[in-house]
Amino acid sequence: MDAVIETNDLTKIWGDVTAVSDLSLRVTAEECYAFLGRNGSGKSTTARMLLDFIRPTRGRARVLGGSGRDPAIRARVGYLPGDLNLPRAMTGAAAIDYFGALQGGGHEAEAASLVERFGLDPGRPVRELSTGNRRKVGLVLAFMSRPELLILDEPTSGLDPVLQEEFRKLLAERKAAGASIWLTSHVMAEVERVADRVGLIRDGMLVSELSMDELRRQAADRIRFSFPGSVDPASLAGAANVTAASVDDGAVTVTVNGPVTDVLRRAAELGATAVETERRELDDIFLELFDTGGQHP
Amino acid sequence: MSGFLTVYWRWLQDRRLSTIVWIAGIAVIVVATAAFYPTLSHASGSSLNVSGGAINSLLGLGQGIDPKSPLGYLWIGLYANVYPWMLMALGVVLGVAAIAGDEDTGGLEYLLARPVTRSTVALARFAGMVTILALVAAASGLSLVICLPVFDLNESVKTTAASGTVTTSPGATIGDIFNGTFSAFAVGLGLAGVAFLLGAATGRKALALGVATVLGVGGYVLYTLSNSTDKLKPLTWISPWRWYVADAMLIKGLTWNVALPFVLAALSLLVGWWAFLRRDLQAA
Repeated sequence: MDAVIETNDLTKIWGDVTAVSDLSLRVTAEECYAFLGRNGSGKSTTARMLLDFIRPTRGRARVLGGSGRDPAIRARVGYLPGDLNLPRAMTGAAAIDYFGALQGGGHEAEAASLVERFGLDPGRPVRELSTGNRRKVGLVLAFMSRPELLILDEPTSGLDPVLQEEFRKLLAERKAAGASIWLTSHVMAEVERVADRVGLIRDGMLVSELSMDELRRQAADRIRFSFPGSVDPASLAGAANVTAASVDDGAVTVTVNGPVTDVLRRAAELGATAVETERRELDDIFLELFDTGGQHP
Repeated sequence: MSGFLTVYWRWLQDRRLSTIVWIAGIAVIVVATAAFYPTLSHASGSSLNVSGGAINSLLGLGQGIDPKSPLGYLWIGLYANVYPWMLMALGVVLGVAAIAGDEDTGGLEYLLARPVTRSTVALARFAGMVTILALVAAASGLSLVICLPVFDLNESVKTTAASGTVTTSPGATIGDIFNGTFSAFAVGLGLAGVAFLLGAATGRKALALGVATVLGVGGYVLYTLSNSTDKLKPLTWISPWRWYVADAMLIKGLTWNVALPFVLAALSLLVGWWAFLRRDLQAA
């Protein structure tokens, strides 16, 4: 499968600060890749190198088989920055005309459809728009040329839940139509619904790449055992399919990925008096991955 | 160059209101200055008693300039100081806005995410800067031309010296106003070019604004002080005021020195463009 984004040892260093370090990743056609990391981890720096706003200290980034420096490549990319800044007096309609003309024109019908879909008033100047409405303008501008690749930085930030849902539908439609997507987000529920794969970046380094299926498998059950006396968690950690064990307030909590027969048997042998189960949310998985530097707990 | 006209027109449109305000503001100052001329020219016994090179340079008074003549009045009241200052201020504002101003807000990155090259943006913005500066200069020059007959500035004036010698000073002509306006525009363009260069090379709005302003004000201070002490004279080549005031093109006609700011602006464009192509954009 062709790569729409491919980086090899991509590195950006400013003085003593290494913003991105030896980043090698590959996003294939028609894939939705979520690039996740905490603030300042290097997500935006990576996006800025993809679009040639900044140049790598070393390494290489290729977009749609070429360089982001090439206008012909950028003509095939839709971009939504984390913070969209347009001239304050510019109306949404003027922005659509201006950026549409730069994209080669002929996007009026698509833009009108998106304006209606997101309920945007295109006649109002940017200075009068709320954060959410400015976001709508950005979404219309990013999607109106039906780009082959969408680079979206926190796309639903500032949108109300109804519009977030509308955005996800739009993303799914474009993906079904063959578009590829590279996005950053802090909304894990959104990532879970739209992404095929996630890449976790920490301190500028790609620490883990997982498919959503792999992630979901990690959202395994947690079982909390209560005992009449103190129990060493290591005695349960060795049970089959247990990926983690910890002691808290006299109880032992284990994370199980797979059949629980063995751990239940061991707990019974140790005299467990109560058993509680809980299903972890994806947020918890991400937090654990960030805490452990991408090493699966 | 794909997108040049689109970027150029958009940049002008975004500055439509501020350009109108600049034109109106400068026109008001021009007309108000012209309107005082009849009062001054008809005053009897009054004279400007000035001495000292520094004071002369502050007023723009050079050898053979009669402040009571139409051209002398326009020179010391407008063209030797206020008018070029306004065009220089506008030039700095536009030069900084061309690249660094937009970059400071993140707007430049968003534009460059589109299929438009950095070269196109730099050249279109530079052309827009020159256009607005020229429009403001032309409109203010035109307002003065209209004022000439209204305030008797186009009429020659006879003055009688203490020795009894009668001197006739010609009235201001459209050609004189063109020469003065064009030379002031040149000064504004030179500094605008420097501001553009600083903004394009660094992407830092505050730095470009600060350094360009210091250069503009510093050049004036340097020139003024150089009239008090010869020690500073060798340094005045960096100040546009040296030739602008000395040549007094409103009165004496255009000289080849007027080309100097155009050369400076062209060099600034080339160097700024070269640096802009090679550097990282600043994060907003």
